Amino acid sequence: MASINYAFKEISCKIVYYGPGLSGKTTNLQYVHQKIPPQTRGELISLATDQDRTLYFDFLPVNIGKVHGFSTKFQLYTVPGQVYYNATRKLVLRGVDGLVFVADSQKSKMDENLESYQNLVENLLEYGYNLNKMPLVLQYNKRDLTPIIPVEELEKALNPQGLPFYEAVAVRGAGVFDTLKCISKLVLDQAKRKQLFPKREIEIKEEETHPAGVSQIPLGEQMTVVADSSVPVESQPTSTVITLVEEKPAPIPEEIIPQPLIALEKTQPGVELKIGEITGGNQMKAEMPVTKAGPTLISWSAGKRTKPKGFFLWRFFKQLFKR
Amino acid sequence: MKQDDLVIYEEQIEQIEKTLRRLIKDAQAKCVLLVDKDGHLITRQGFTQSLDTTALAALLAGSFASTREIARLVGEPEFSVLFHQGKKDHIHISLVGERTILAVIFDDRTTIGMVRLYAKEVSESLNQVLSSEKPEENRTESENRPETDSEYAASVETRLDDIFSDKT
Repeated sequence: MASINYAFKEISCKIVYYGPGLSGKTTNLQYVHQKIPPQTRGELISLATDQDRTLYFDFLPVNIGKVHGFSTKFQLYTVPGQVYYNATRKLVLRGVDGLVFVADSQKSKMDENLESYQNLVENLLEYGYNLNKMPLVLQYNKRDLTPIIPVEELEKALNPQGLPFYEAVAVRGAGVFDTLKCISKLVLDQAKRKQLFPKREIEIKEEETHPAGVSQIPLGEQMTVVADSSVPVESQPTSTVITLVEEKPAPIPEEIIPQPLIALEKTQPGVELKIGEITGGNQMKAEMPVTKAGPTLISWSAGKRTKPKGFFLWRFFKQLFKR
Repeated sequence: MKQDDLVIYEEQIEQIEKTLRRLIKDAQAKCVLLVDKDGHLITRQGFTQSLDTTALAALLAGSFASTREIARLVGEPEFSVLFHQGKKDHIHISLVGERTILAVIFDDRTTIGMVRLYAKEVSESLNQVLSSEKPEENRTESENRPETDSEYAASVETRLDDIFSDKT
């Protein structure tokens, strides 16, 4: 995962080019290495066999310079595409922040593309990464050859989620930078999101059940609300008011945010919570329908808090006065 | 096995660098690098000017990862020390804690035994620093934080457009 160094004000992210053998992963890196300003990149290192087939990885460090005070670096890696080298291929994925899947567009390569994609999913799983949560861009390479698979077909087979994709001819550089720009942006977005608005993961703890009418649900906890069985069904309330409590509000001084934004993100499908008033800065009332048929599962997470204009100025003065 | 981002704070770096300088002095090494297992360089000390430390970090991590896999295949949980012997310079690589690697580059002014001894010694204190309680979450609110999402996105975009373009 990305490495963030506050001492040197540096963020370093790892992007891996994945794909079947000879699909053009190394070519992508070579083109980038050739074209970007020399001061922004290091040497391209290739751990390859005598026949120039990648044995372990290719590595190209790129430093895009300061983005809002943080020196931002990308480490571009490729994996060996050949099926045979899965042991080393898997190792390259360790700590990956974003992926480019380079597919070979030639008609005869469809099976290899699929096999490689499947292999990617499996290898990621071994590290406990979920491909659905990982920034991923697809590149359909070798569009200049014939016969090739139409893009629609590739999309259907490899990209049912509708992720960004680019057609490319890596040897000539077509599509190479578009792909790289897209994945860099996705990776930085994610790194920033994780750091600025650390998402409090919702874990399903030991399932507790609470009778209807239970009031406080702390942030990050998931709970099941069931109708009170001692009360006859007819006279049970159809809804109950719950209070969502955020014990530790996001680290922004409360005094300057009159109304923190608390957003409900998740409830059981079919259950709609009606958001009510916000009380006391970190609490929110919500009305929840009680289904008589069975338990209702609710959990919630805090929404993004946006900083008002002048926040930094305000804090600057505050710190100044402290001294 | 999934891990969070590696976040290093200023206080930690100060302590780490102090420890590494002590290691260089005690073991009479040429330089030391602290690298995380994903291949990112954390910090370095000693004569590193002539070295491409970014590449070194990536290769060291790669080398360590493959050794680890070899260990697994022969039924060993992990080879915690790796040693490469050269004509002039040698390199001693050892594991620090769960996710960092310490590489010591040295020449014939000292011996492998000395390096091993001191590397082992500092490993423990480094591990303590690295695994020490991370400062509170509000530390992430650094002064250099972008003010708004859109501003950040725009600035990233122009940067990327500038650098990643086909113009030579």
